[in-house]
Order: sequence, then structure tokens, then C-alpha cells
Amino acid sequence: MRKVFSYASAYKASAIIAILLMLIELAVELVQPLLMAHIIDEGIMKENYTVVSIWGGVLVGLSLLAFAAGITNSFFAANVSQGVGFDLRRDLFKKVQSFTNENFQSYSTPNLVTRMTNDVIQIQNLVLMLMRIALRAPLFIIFALVMAFTVNVTLAFILVVAVPLLGGFLFWVLIKGVKLFKSVQTRLDGVNTVIRENLAGVRLVKGFNRGEYEEERFHGVNQELMVKNKRALWLMEIAMPVVMLGMNVIILVLLFAGAIQLNIGGAQAGEVVAIINYATRIMFTFSIFSFLIMVFSRGNASANRVTEVLDEKLPEFVTNTEGEQATLLGNITFNNVSFSRDRVEILRDISFQVKAGQMVGILGETGSGKTSLLHLLPRLHEKEKGNILFDRMEINEMDVKSLREQISLVPQEVHLFSGTVRDNIAWGKEKAEEQEIIEAAKQAEIHSFITTLPNGYDTVLGQKGVTFSGGQKQRLSIARALVRKPKVLILDDSTSALDAHTETRLLQTLKEQECTIFMVAQKISSLKAADHILVLHRGEVIAQGDHQQLLRISPYYQEVYQSQQEDVM
Amino acid sequence: MAEPQSRNQTPIRRHHHGIGTAPPKVDDIKSTLKRIWSYMAHEKKRFKVVLAILVLSSALSLLGPYLLGVAVDQVIAQPNANTLWTMLSLLLGVYAFHSLFLWMQNYWMIDISQNTVFRMRNHLFSHLQRLPILFFQRRQQGELMSRLTNDMENVSRTLNTAIIQFVTSVLTILGTLVIMLWLSPVLTLLTLTIVPVMYFGMKWITKRTGRYFKDQQKHLGDVNGYVEEMFSGQTIISMFSREERVIKDFEEKNEALKHSGYWAQTYSGFIPKLMNMLNNVSFAIIVGAGGWLALNGSISIGVIVTFTTYSRQFTRPLNDLANQYNMILSAVAGAERVFQVIDENEEKQDEKQAQDIKNMRGDIEFRDVQFSYEEEQTLSHINFHAAPGETIALVGPTGAGKTTIISLLSRFYEIDEGSILMDGKEINTITRDSLRSQMGVVLQDSTMFHTTIRENLRYGRLDASDHEVEEVAKAAHAHDFISQLPDGYDTVLDSDGGGVSHGQRQLLSIARAMLADPALLILDEATSSIDTVTEIKINDALAKLMKGRTSFVIAHRLNTIRAADQILVLQHGEIIEKGNHHELQGLGGFYSDLVKAQQAESRASV
Repeated sequence: MRKVFSYASAYKASAIIAILLMLIELAVELVQPLLMAHIIDEGIMKENYTVVSIWGGVLVGLSLLAFAAGITNSFFAANVSQGVGFDLRRDLFKKVQSFTNENFQSYSTPNLVTRMTNDVIQIQNLVLMLMRIALRAPLFIIFALVMAFTVNVTLAFILVVAVPLLGGFLFWVLIKGVKLFKSVQTRLDGVNTVIRENLAGVRLVKGFNRGEYEEERFHGVNQELMVKNKRALWLMEIAMPVVMLGMNVIILVLLFAGAIQLNIGGAQAGEVVAIINYATRIMFTFSIFSFLIMVFSRGNASANRVTEVLDEKLPEFVTNTEGEQATLLGNITFNNVSFSRDRVEILRDISFQVKAGQMVGILGETGSGKTSLLHLLPRLHEKEKGNILFDRMEINEMDVKSLREQISLVPQEVHLFSGTVRDNIAWGKEKAEEQEIIEAAKQAEIHSFITTLPNGYDTVLGQKGVTFSGGQKQRLSIARALVRKPKVLILDDSTSALDAHTETRLLQTLKEQECTIFMVAQKISSLKAADHILVLHRGEVIAQGDHQQLLRISPYYQEVYQSQQEDVM
Repeated sequence: MAEPQSRNQTPIRRHHHGIGTAPPKVDDIKSTLKRIWSYMAHEKKRFKVVLAILVLSSALSLLGPYLLGVAVDQVIAQPNANTLWTMLSLLLGVYAFHSLFLWMQNYWMIDISQNTVFRMRNHLFSHLQRLPILFFQRRQQGELMSRLTNDMENVSRTLNTAIIQFVTSVLTILGTLVIMLWLSPVLTLLTLTIVPVMYFGMKWITKRTGRYFKDQQKHLGDVNGYVEEMFSGQTIISMFSREERVIKDFEEKNEALKHSGYWAQTYSGFIPKLMNMLNNVSFAIIVGAGGWLALNGSISIGVIVTFTTYSRQFTRPLNDLANQYNMILSAVAGAERVFQVIDENEEKQDEKQAQDIKNMRGDIEFRDVQFSYEEEQTLSHINFHAAPGETIALVGPTGAGKTTIISLLSRFYEIDEGSILMDGKEINTITRDSLRSQMGVVLQDSTMFHTTIRENLRYGRLDASDHEVEEVAKAAHAHDFISQLPDGYDTVLDSDGGGVSHGQRQLLSIARAMLADPALLILDEATSSIDTVTEIKINDALAKLMKGRTSFVIAHRLNTIRAADQILVLQHGEIIEKGNHHELQGLGGFYSDLVKAQQAESRASV
């Protein structure tokens, strides 16, 4: 919550103006019953028409002033609340941009999406209310109490005792509300998760004909959301009737006390009327509270959720900008490198050396740690022990950004973005020339396919490039990696969906590039061209060397080789 | 990247009769409200009860101040202990019942409105399940998500309070008018002078808010879509150091949302201010004119006091009415976007004469099938026949149409010409549900859900026992790695792929299909990321699985293809070679070239 206020402070000037304008409105409203009492006591009771007309005119003039103040307030208040919303979304987005895989494990994508849209909206509403009526309501009540004292101390005393009691009740509702609305937002995450999975797996859902099952699944989370929503809203709705009743009873007490005071001469008729009028107004203000409390509880719950993301701890290397910006040659050394995740050791004592321009093949069973090893290079993962040296410089002493700019990764699972084919290739290099894009596409063996598309390089891909086949997506993703002319190229089983012809040509082209290549592959035929091959088994390098060496020394390598020989009859 | 704004939308709309060109009728407020009502109508009876209570509570809310005015008059004019006590207890009763009714109406209304929202959400989701695949290929996930959450939230917020307040307001206004007329027709007429100002003011404001609310929801959808897409590709973004660029693009969408939000909020902020001002003016009119009338002796002071309360009661509901109208506009903006999706044409309904197919033998024939996709010929003159139990391998360069043929088998698309026969029946005489329930698929992207491994496997057959689940996991060689995980079969997977490796997910997705025990098996590059040692084991299991079932296999590896009964070689959407391994070898065409290439590679590796 405090964090959110610090965001509002960026709009201090607007906020102060908005609140001042609100105070003008408030002042007018407060003066009204006073004027009314004056008109009744001095004008009507004393049959003085001049008093009535003059003070009537003053009332109208003040109303117009309040109106002007109110309209102007709208602009400033909207400026603050929309500004805070904008800044929060921007900072949340920025923050998530520096998230690592570890951070993403505590927040799933749909969860983050809810926080960025729905939660920020709740906060916006809260800020707006603060600018417009929230402060106004308690201030109004305090002022009304003070005014009541100036009118008649004895009667006002009744109000002073009763009002805080109702205030306390509302506070209790508020505290409970924050908890309930937090669980509402959590359920919303749940709904979002099911929808997203369903949309992402639409082919699978249809393939297994699981439409009804999915509907049931959604029905479940939707129902949970409904139940939580009802519970929270029901609580909110208790506030209003209770406060109304309380306030009405107070008015009755005032009336009764007023009657006594009139009898003993402790109050004048106009005073009783004015005090009852203040009490009625306080009641209406309290009824605004029931709405405010809802906005406040929701906003508060959401503010906590947003703050959680903003305060999420980032690994030091992401925030550290003191690293050295070195130009890589492409020599890489691993010295006893280990890596763990969730206290499970994934890689143990990995050591090897690669010279610039060499190709390193990696072979290993599913789950043997190949991808984790590759992700250590651009520091998508942080090693736990050992040294990784790029041209003799420790990876920890290098600037992450400049390091990544010189490395290209083609992940196992292709992820393309909405946009044209050209956009997607240009992802690899911000200001890639047309010529560079085409060259990269040619190298990735995808150029001729692109030219057969009706719109060529301007063909638009749907999200995740669904309309392309697996092989085409892989090659596009390779083109994206090549366009930046990396010093280190990482291919994480990126040719698995390609046919043998295409793969052979592609690998040939890649070898001609001036960069160090890391390549995970399942086929010995793809690996044999590598200068150095690592055989991974359960997180350890069990053998390394070139193809010929491995055939001699590694039983595992032989086994794989044999199995693939049979393959070709 | 040059036009981030148009990038997601324009081309989509151009090709697809989709959301952009939805029927125009949803654009008007009245029909949208009617459609919302159709979801609420399920609880018509309860709604009527709520309305009845509303009438009561509104009556009491009028009676309260009237009695208070009388009481004040009595207290001030002639303090009388007896009448005072009667008045006080009467008032107490009125107030107590007022609060009680207030609570009841709100409680039930929330119940009704949340049920309504629940039904709408469910309907939208169910409808999504019936939309053709093409629809999804053209939409951004996050933008659709926004319709189910953010837009629905807008509807929800409004339904909770708007209806009650709307009706209360109207009732209160009418009631107040009657009492005011009865108290003093002259003062009433004076109070009413503010109504025309109010009307035109409101018209001016809502004309603007309506538009900006729509913009706001649209931009919110854009932000949601962009954020979802970027977050799910976060590794790529950080890998390619594209953070700044992505942030810049986001800023544009964020800015657009801020802009529409700013104006929607500013204009809707005018409403209470306008009402407040008019309220104050009417107050001044009543006090001024009332004072003058009181001097004349035509009304009592008590009447003025009562009248000021009523004038408040009169302008307050008008204020509420204006606010509610505004909220309704914002709900309509959300609901329209929901209905746009609901108005999307469903996947074609099954033909009337369509029948369920049971215990399919797996005899499949394509007769001169033609299919085009976005006005582009994708398949032409496809002819083949698969006898029950046969394995059909599809071979060909990427983009040749292999995946399309498989999609046609599940009837994800409708063919343009020719016919597809299943067990001798035309595919369009078979209900889609029964057809698809005979199939099992293993896809390249091995989608998993955010739940335990056990439940993910069970997706293949929902009523499978734990034992059966473990049996298939063993057969698919997934059992070993699953047991090594800290939580074993109860390990919760991440929908974005966290938890297990890509290859392991492929093993799981094979196990899942095994569990389905389908008559027709489809393997779409299913084994591409499994290491060859494991693949041998898997092939062994797959061979068992494929025995007795018609199977369609897309693969690039010869060992998978070689064993097929029939190999269809595709190029540019046509079958250029057809036969078994030996026959095709003898042809000396594309296939034998392919085999030679792979053999050459292997030999070179010796």
C-alpha cells in the first residue's frame, strides 16, 4: 500500500490541486446548513426578507463556485489515477522483463497478467476515490462534528460519542474485506490460468475431444470465483444497512434530547433543526463509505499483489551494471561447473574447453541436463560452483547485456511473436537491414519458403506462429539467431523437425559461420561434424572428444551410434 | 515491428470473417442489455422478489424523512411527551425495517448478479470450445483472456449495484415527487426547474463516456494480449536483449489505455459535480422561496425543513441514476466484447443425419480430396486408402501438407471437394464428437497442463485408475524419470513447460495417447526430441500400441517410416509417391533420394 502511495507522489501537484478543489466543494457543503439555520432563525423567524434573499443568493453563488471546483477536480483526479495506473503497469512490465526463470517459477504468466491488468484497475479506482470522495467523507464528518459543536455543545456531544462507534464498525468490515478480496483476485488468477491453458492447448483439447471436460474444469474455477466474489460482496453489503440504522437511531436520540433541551431552554429550535440536519448528512456520507470500503478493500488487496511483484528479488547479476563489456572471441572454458535448481543438482563438475569457431556437440538422454548446460552460457541460469570463462574472463565479471548480445540461442521449443516474418527475424537484431534479414533467412534454409508465401516477408504470423509447420518455425527461429551474427550460437535440438536434406545443408552453412557453436542433437549424423562432443549422463560429462575418439572410448556413444546405424538398414 | 498498432489486428480482420466484422446489432445498448438480461432471466422469480422488496424499502426511505419532519415540527412547536414517544417508536420501526429490506435486497441481488456473471462466463468459455481451430490461429490468447476476465468484471461490477440503484432511484424520484407536490406544489415546480439542465448535461456527458469506455476496454484487451504474449516468451526476450524494445512497444499500448482511461474517468467525474451543483441550487431555491413563502405564512417552517430533505432525496437519486447509467455504459462496453465472441460462428454443427461412430475399425479412404486454406490451395487430388490396422507414414518437405491431412482426419477443417470415408461412411455423416473420441494424438509441441503428472496423463482417458496410469507410463518409458522426481506422479507441471525437459514431456504425451487407447492414432513428429536410445525403447512400445490400430505418422527418421505399411510422399500439397518402403525405393524418386541422403550421412559418420 505504501508503495502505491509513493507512485501517487509522482503526481503530487495534481493530487494537491485535486484535493484543494475538493476541499472547496466540501467547505460549501458544510456552510449550507449553517446558512440554512441562519435563514430560518434570522430571516424567517424574525420575518426579515432581506436576510433570506441575500443569504439565498450567497448560497447559489457558492454552489457555482463548488461546481467549477468539482469539474476542474475531475481533470486533476483522473490525471493522478490514470497516471498511477500507467506507471504501475510500466514498472510491472519492466520488472518482469528482468525476471529470470527462477522468478517465473513463483509467478505463472496468467497470474502476472491478472496483476498487470485487473489489479492495477482496482488500484486506479482506489486512487481516484482518494482524490474525489474518500478524503472528503471523513473530513466531512469531522467538520460536521465541529460545526455541530459551534451550534450546540450538548447535542453535538451525542454525535461525537456515536460516530466513532460506527466508524469502528466500518473499519472492521474493511479489514475483513481486504482478506476476502485478496482471495477473489487469487481465484481470478485461477480462471485466467484455465483459459490460457485451454487456448494454448486448443489442438490437444480438440484432438482428444476434451471440450466437455474443459468446460467442467472451467466451470469449477468459475464457480470458485463466484463463491468468493459473493462472500466478499455480501460482507460489503452488511455495512450500509447497519450504518444507516445506527445513524437513524442517533437522529432519534438527538430528537429526543433536543426536545428536552428545548423544554429546559438549553437549545433554540433552529439549533435542533441544524444539528439534525448535520446528522442526516453524516448518515449520507456514511453510506458513501460502504462503497468506499469496497473500493478500498479491493484496492488494498490488489496493491499488495502488485507490490509483491515489484518487490520480487532479482538475482544480483541482473541488476548489477558494473560488469565489463568485453567483445567475445568465442573461446570458452568450463571448470568444474555445477548447477542446482530447487536444491536438486542438475549439473555436476562439468569441465571442457572450446576454441573460437569450434563446434561443440552435446549428446545425452532426455533429462540429462543438456538444456540447463546451454542456459548457463547466456546466464539464463546461474552456475552454483566452478568457473565459466569467456576468453579467460569469468562470466560473473561480465556485463550480462553485452554478453547476451553476442550470443544467440535457438531454444528447443520455438516461440515466435505476433507480427510479420520480417519482424520475427529482426528480433535478433534491432536495426537489421533488409539485406541482413534475407541473408539470415537464406542461411537458415527458409528464404525460398518465405518467397512462396503470398505476402513474402510481410506474411503475418499468428501468436506462436501456429500456421507454420514445426520445421518452418524452427528454421525461422534459426534465422532470428543468425541475423545478429553472434559470436556464440546455441542450438538446443533446433533441427529435430527438419528433414535430413535440409538439416545437412543447414549444418554445412552454420559451420561456415565465424562463431562458436553449441549444438544439442539426437542424431550422430548431425553430431559427427562437431569438433568436440560432450556426452552427458545424469548431469555429468561421461565422455568427451571428437566422433572418432568417442567411438573408441565411450560405450554409451557406441550404443547410440549402433542404434542409428540399424536405422539406415 | 514498424506498425505495432496494426500488427495484431488488420491482417487478421482482412482474412477472417471474425470479431472485427461481427454482426452490427451488438453495437446498440438496448440489445446488449437484453442479452445480458437473457442470462439473468434464469432467476426471474427471485428477481421479482428483489424488486418487491425494493418497492418496500424505497417506500420506507420516503416515509422516514416525512415522519422525521413531522416529529421535528412537533418537538419544536408543541413538545408533548406522549406524541413524542409514539413518533420516536414509529420512526424506529420504519428505520429498522428499512435497513432490513436494504440488506435483503442487496444480498439477493448479489446472488443473482454473480450467478448471471457465472453463466455468461461459462457460456463464453463453452462457446470457445466449439469454435473452429482457425479462429484461435487468428487471435491473440491474452486478448481473448481479457474478454473472459476484464470485460466480464465490468459487467459483474455493474450488475451488483446498478439494477438496484436504478430501480430505487426511479421509485424514489416518483415517490418524492408525489409527496413534494402534496406538501407544496409551488416549491415542487421551483425544484423541478433544474431537471432540464440536468437532462442536457447528462446527455452531453454520456455521449463522451460511452465512447471512451469502449476504447478503454479495447485497449485493455490489447495490453492484456501483449503482456501475455511477451511474458510467455520471456526467455527469448532476455536472450536477445530485446527488453528495451519490448518495453517501448508496451509503452505505446499502455499510453493508449491511459489516454482513453483518462477521458472516460474525467467525463464520468463530471456527473456527480453537475448533480451536486444542481442540488445546491435547488436547496437555495427552496430556502429562498420557502423563506419568502413562510414569511407570507402560506407554509410552515416544518414544511421547509421537510422540503429541503426531499429535494435532497430528489436530486440524490437523479445523481445515482446518472452514475448508474454511466456504469451501465461501461458494462455494455465490456459485454459487447463478450458477445462479439459468442456471435462468432461455431464450428459447423453436425449434419442432421450425422450418426455416432462406435468401435471404429479404422478403414480410411481419401477420394480426390481438395482443400484450400486462406484462398491458397493446400491439398489437391489426395487419394489413398488405409486398411484397418495399417500404419501410414507421411513424408515430404516441411509445408507439403502433412499436418493438414491429419487435421482433416479429425475434421478440424472442412474439405472443399472430394470425400473422406471412415469405415466406408462419409466423414460428414459422422458426429464430430464420436469421431474424435476414437482418436488419440501425440503432437510435436506436447502441451501439458498446470496440474500433476498423473492428471496430465489421465487427460487421455479420464476414468483411468492410478494403476493404469502407471502402466502406460512404464510402457512409454516415462515411469523411470517420473519416479526420480521428488513428488513422483504428483509432481505439478507448469503449463509453460517448467518442471520436466522437453523430451520428457514428449514421453508423457505418448503415454497420454496410449492411455486413450484410440482406434486411430496420430503421431505428429512425436519423437523428434527424444534421444535415440530412448526412442528405440519408445518405438518398441509404440509398435505395440500401433498394432491393430490405424496409425498416421509424421516423422523424419527412417526407422519410423520404414516400418509403415504405406508411405505417402507429399510435395506442394500433392501425393507424388505412394507405396511401401521397398516399392518406393525401387521408384528412384524423392523417397529413394531421401533414403540415400540419410544413408550417406550415416556412412560418412563411420
